[in-house]
Amino acid sequence: MARLGILVKGELDRLKKYNLFTATTVVLLLWVGMTWLLDAKEITAFVPLILLMDSTMMTIVLVGATLFYEKKEHTINSILVTPVREAEYILAKVIVSVINSLITVIALSATVYFLKSVTFNFALVTASVVLITVFHTLLGICFAYFSKNFSSLLVNFMLYVIIIMLPTVLADLGVIGKGIAQFFIILPPDAASIILKAGFETVDLWKVIFGFTYLAALSLALYKYIIKPRFNDYAMRETGV
Amino acid sequence: MPISFSKLTAMENLEFFQRLYKNTVDVEPLLKRVGLWDDRHKKAGEYSKGMKIRLNFVRALLNNPKMLFLDEPTNGIDPVNGKIMKDMIREFQDQGGTVFLTSHIMSDVDELCDRVAFIVNGKLQEENSPRNLKLKYGKRLVKVEYRENGDVITQEFTMDEIKTPKFFELLKTKDIETLHSGETTLEDIFIKVTGVALHG
Repeated sequence: MARLGILVKGELDRLKKYNLFTATTVVLLLWVGMTWLLDAKEITAFVPLILLMDSTMMTIVLVGATLFYEKKEHTINSILVTPVREAEYILAKVIVSVINSLITVIALSATVYFLKSVTFNFALVTASVVLITVFHTLLGICFAYFSKNFSSLLVNFMLYVIIIMLPTVLADLGVIGKGIAQFFIILPPDAASIILKAGFETVDLWKVIFGFTYLAALSLALYKYIIKPRFNDYAMRETGV
Repeated sequence: MPISFSKLTAMENLEFFQRLYKNTVDVEPLLKRVGLWDDRHKKAGEYSKGMKIRLNFVRALLNNPKMLFLDEPTNGIDPVNGKIMKDMIREFQDQGGTVFLTSHIMSDVDELCDRVAFIVNGKLQEENSPRNLKLKYGKRLVKVEYRENGDVITQEFTMDEIKTPKFFELLKTKDIETLHSGETTLEDIFIKVTGVALHG
């Protein structure tokens, strides 16, 4: 447990030193600024979308960037020859992503509450953001596994956004009809969108339960069947070890 | 291979890794010994290759290990710092530590290793102490060079022949210029062992 704390602190220090924290802060300020410009009704529709993008897209890019820095500098090998276990290493990445997402939740919640007097189910939104971030951190790690470099990770990420995420956004904007959109629930971003919206508006209970269960199951499956079995191979690849 | 977080200072790198171990050593004497103490607050990315390798070496000693795996520890390092590192490795050995050294620099191997193994295409081709390897691959002879009537004459004697009066007579009567044993070097053995296996 103490080692996990050290890894998390190390990750946070490096986010700062490698200017990744600055990048996420700039994006956060952008979100806060946009929220400030909206009225109360628009906020209810827009904030879940911001949180969705932040806990999905930003999470994938951020974890991908940190992994590629570590690959490039071979520090992942150094960490693995310490007593650190691979589960601790991955969990540290997940915790740091969750901290980043929670900062966004807190900043946006404070903005909409103090500036626009808008409230929502904070506990449900927080729980949703945590689960969505956990899943997308693991997904980001998978992307890093299957990408040769950061550019190819971005390409894979864009494919994910276009193929898997765009239908959800188009359905939210009413471009895709409800008849077809109801089947999108099996797409992780759609499940994520549903559980996030549940904090702001009334959503069918079965959909919320399905969303939480589905994302949790997918996270476990990603870790057990892809991330854990391939971790050492990934860490040692291209290092000459 | 230099390995460190480039945007962190040398000290921050060491402190991060140090916290991951229960049993650690004081880094100050180590950093002073390898000549990095004054540059400890510089970012590792601004270090030269030699400095990064020395930093790696200090990091390897952070947890007071019983065994060290070193990959070409003096490659890219100037002779003065190379000697310091070799002295530190020898001290580690003297204190009971085991060192696995991977290197193509045979002079380092000769100086530091009790046993040497040559691996060719993943197969252990030869394994012995440096002394035994030199005996096995070297020539058991002594080469004498002397000057006679303005010419340099070379004569070779086997180890058995040097006990004979002929050898002593030569030493007494001739103007000896050089005297060499036929002992080979680990570099020659390396070429012989790996070269034969690869091209023979």
